Amino acid sequence: MQAPSKNPIRISWQALFSVLMFGFMYLPILVLGFYSFNQSPNSAQWGGFTLSWYVKFFNDSRILSALSDSLKVAFCAVGISAIIGTLMAVGLARYKFPGKQLYQGVSYLPLIIPDIAIAVSTLVFLAVIAVPLSLWTIVAAHTVFCLSYVAFVVSTRLVNLNPHLEEAAQDLGATPYQSLVMVLLPELMPAIVSGCLLAFVLSMDDFLISSFTAGGGATTLPMEIFSRIRTSVKPDINALSVVLMVTSGAVALIAETIRYRSEKKRLQ
Amino acid sequence: MSTKAPSAPAQVQTSSPQWLQALLLLAPAGIWLALLLVIPTLLIFQLSLVPDIKPGDIVNPSGLDNYLRIFQPDVLKVIGRSLLFAIGTTLLCLLMGFPVAYWIALLSPKRWRNLLLLAFVLPLWTSSLLRSYAWISILRPTGVLNTLLTSLHLPTLDLLNRSPAVLIGMTYSLLPYMVLILYASLEKLDRRFLEAAADLGATPPQAFWKVTVPQTLPGIAAGSLLVFITGLGDFINPELLGGTSSMTAARLIYNQFLGATQNWGFGSALSMVLILAVSLAIALLIKYGDKNASSL
Amino acid sequence: MNHMADFLTRSLHASRSRRRFLQTSIAGLSSMALSSCGWTLAKVQTDQVRRGAADELHIYTWSNYVDQDLIDAFRSQTGIKVISDVFDSNEMMLATFQAGKAGTYSIIYPSDYKVSQMVQLGYLSELDHSRLDGLRNILPRFQQSVHDPGNRFSVPVSWGTTGLIYNSEKLTEPPTDWDYLWKHKDKLTRRLTLMDDFREVMGATLRSLGYSYNATDPQQIKQAYEKLQELKPAITTFTTDAWRDQLLAGDLTIAMGYSADAVNVMNQNPKLKYVIPASGTSLWSDTMVIPKTAPNPEAAYAWMDFMLEPDVAARVTERLFFATPNEAAFNQLPDNLKNNVTLFPPHNLLDRSETLAPLDKPILELYEKYWTKLTSS
Repeated sequence: MQAPSKNPIRISWQALFSVLMFGFMYLPILVLGFYSFNQSPNSAQWGGFTLSWYVKFFNDSRILSALSDSLKVAFCAVGISAIIGTLMAVGLARYKFPGKQLYQGVSYLPLIIPDIAIAVSTLVFLAVIAVPLSLWTIVAAHTVFCLSYVAFVVSTRLVNLNPHLEEAAQDLGATPYQSLVMVLLPELMPAIVSGCLLAFVLSMDDFLISSFTAGGGATTLPMEIFSRIRTSVKPDINALSVVLMVTSGAVALIAETIRYRSEKKRLQ
Repeated sequence: MSTKAPSAPAQVQTSSPQWLQALLLLAPAGIWLALLLVIPTLLIFQLSLVPDIKPGDIVNPSGLDNYLRIFQPDVLKVIGRSLLFAIGTTLLCLLMGFPVAYWIALLSPKRWRNLLLLAFVLPLWTSSLLRSYAWISILRPTGVLNTLLTSLHLPTLDLLNRSPAVLIGMTYSLLPYMVLILYASLEKLDRRFLEAAADLGATPPQAFWKVTVPQTLPGIAAGSLLVFITGLGDFINPELLGGTSSMTAARLIYNQFLGATQNWGFGSALSMVLILAVSLAIALLIKYGDKNASSL
Repeated sequence: MNHMADFLTRSLHASRSRRRFLQTSIAGLSSMALSSCGWTLAKVQTDQVRRGAADELHIYTWSNYVDQDLIDAFRSQTGIKVISDVFDSNEMMLATFQAGKAGTYSIIYPSDYKVSQMVQLGYLSELDHSRLDGLRNILPRFQQSVHDPGNRFSVPVSWGTTGLIYNSEKLTEPPTDWDYLWKHKDKLTRRLTLMDDFREVMGATLRSLGYSYNATDPQQIKQAYEKLQELKPAITTFTTDAWRDQLLAGDLTIAMGYSADAVNVMNQNPKLKYVIPASGTSLWSDTMVIPKTAPNPEAAYAWMDFMLEPDVAARVTERLFFATPNEAAFNQLPDNLKNNVTLFPPHNLLDRSETLAPLDKPILELYEKYWTKLTSS
């Protein structure tokens, strides 16, 4: 491999390879796009341009209701996680107590344990305590991993925070509650938002945990997609994927721009 | 390297007792995690000691039958296959991800770097199921790839519903993570070392192996670990792309609960093995990583 | 998403805490194991019924049994909104039900042999025949099914056979029996799917060996497993539904499937043909039942009554191609459907076929064991 060159536009083999890899990353997305406008649903040949899959998709009440279930789950789980995850991160950064390492270890577990194991254990637990499964059991299960991600991102920010800010606030007579809300919270906001965004994406994408904890009638979007791929009730799935990709791509771009700007501001 | 929890801001004088504040901050998440993570994990551990259990039965731990069953050849094969998929994916991601991360972090024009990185990981933001579904359309016998090959008068490839398709799908899903992590560590690479190496007469490959690789080793290790543990528990790619010949641990667990062959005890035992394998991978890496870090 | 990288690098450094954590959790797990108090796992709580919205009916059914037209027609007649979820095998349906995930369903569509098992387990509520006028239109042989004599718990809704659907352009010598798959295994390799249903697949193999679909002799079951293992490398996937698209697209040459699905794909591509294997096949019939946990039995009765209307049943048969056991509906069908031998096979084709029967627990577990072995290898 070559040492970094001073000339930025030199074509290296790494550049060529990277272009290839970018192609690899975008190939499936382009293919879905191609199929979503293709009249013949079953073949790779071009059968003419059509928008009918999109029309079909926007009239598909099952997909739309699955989408709304997914959004409900994601918003609730992320909302709860934003609060208790942030509290947890602050508490962990601030206090020393016996069993803290155990607590901390447990709080990172959802990032490490495979989804299938979390899904299985949650199902068993819910079965043992005989809680009827529903949309709310999905929310409860999603909150577990969402709060881990939020707490993790927030605690990264806490490490870099000026520890004297809060102290100063309290010296000036602020109660601990005031200093938390008025001083710490604004400082943590960018981290909370980006943690929530990450958790939101993961919650919207989760298939396994949802399908193990969902009650009958509660169907999230990934569950609906999975069932359609398995039973081959298609092809408006292609249209759905394009719509989803464009939306989430736009959200990702906006989020990254905001993050980039706020980082730049902080550095100045 | 010494380890430290995020250091606490200076202790504050308080109007309400410290323990109460700590409790208010830590209890909600703590209860949630205890209830929906710790207790459930303990429950499946206990369940894994009950042979042939189905919903409605009484749970009375009575032995290691489920764990013994794991040592039967067919189940061992499944576990071995999961490991192979995970290792294969890790290697592929490293091979494909390193040059990309290297190029973005060190060779590409500086003001494009953030944008390039973002563009590379953008597919991560889309549904993973749909990405696997797209690979079905590409790799099918009459899919995009084979249509292309036929039109070029090349022999067709039969990849779908076999291991290659699973590897492609898993590599595709995990490559962005690898690139992200490698990028983070390559970005911090001290270029003066490279320049010094060049000044001392090192050839580019020498500089790469003696300077770049050792300096980015933590990133390589972290990326490999992430890809390995995610790959080990992957369900979607083997299920959708693997066909009959690629039963993995995650698929087998799924079948014990929501599939045709119900056996919650065996499924729990397999889950425990999966958790154990992941913990082992982390423990090994920590041990290795510690040694490495202290020798630096 | 850069924090992912931070996280990992950092977690690698937090080694001491993690090691300690692992130790603590291992200690916790082992103490848990030592305490062996018995608790009950996920009993389906048939006495605890959740009330659902009166104008909503959740249905758990096979794919392609309920379409939008049917849902709309029912809604305009009764004002009840139908939400349907699908399963692809009876065993999976029961697993979901037992895991407590079926509490919202007021109507389930098990096959006949599963009905008797569900009755035994006490999951189904007895039907009030005075509310189901249309029952008398059901053909006598479906009223006297061995699995539910007199339709006390179930209303038959469709019937058919299991067979092979193949592309007649690609197979010069058309298949006639299950054995064809083994004889032409090399030619069919990776162009063949079997169903994701161990009773059907093991049953067909047992039949091709000259045994019964419901064999209980462990030796025979083992033989069937070994025979399937031979065929395994040739099989692309085990799927009950996804073969339809793949066969239409030309990715497959032959698939094992239900006759109802076969009629469906044959209508889209006339080169596809369906054959009932000569050595016999399974004669299935699917039913509608009301579980004891049904949140909305009123709507469930309304649905059953609606589906029993000859008019409705006939339209459904025309649109979704599953054979109706409803005599009055059959008489309304156009001649080309009435004479469609795939949909309504004549009796002489069926004299070798069997209906699946419920199996005792140890035998069922043996089937499951071999199936897991087959799919894992």
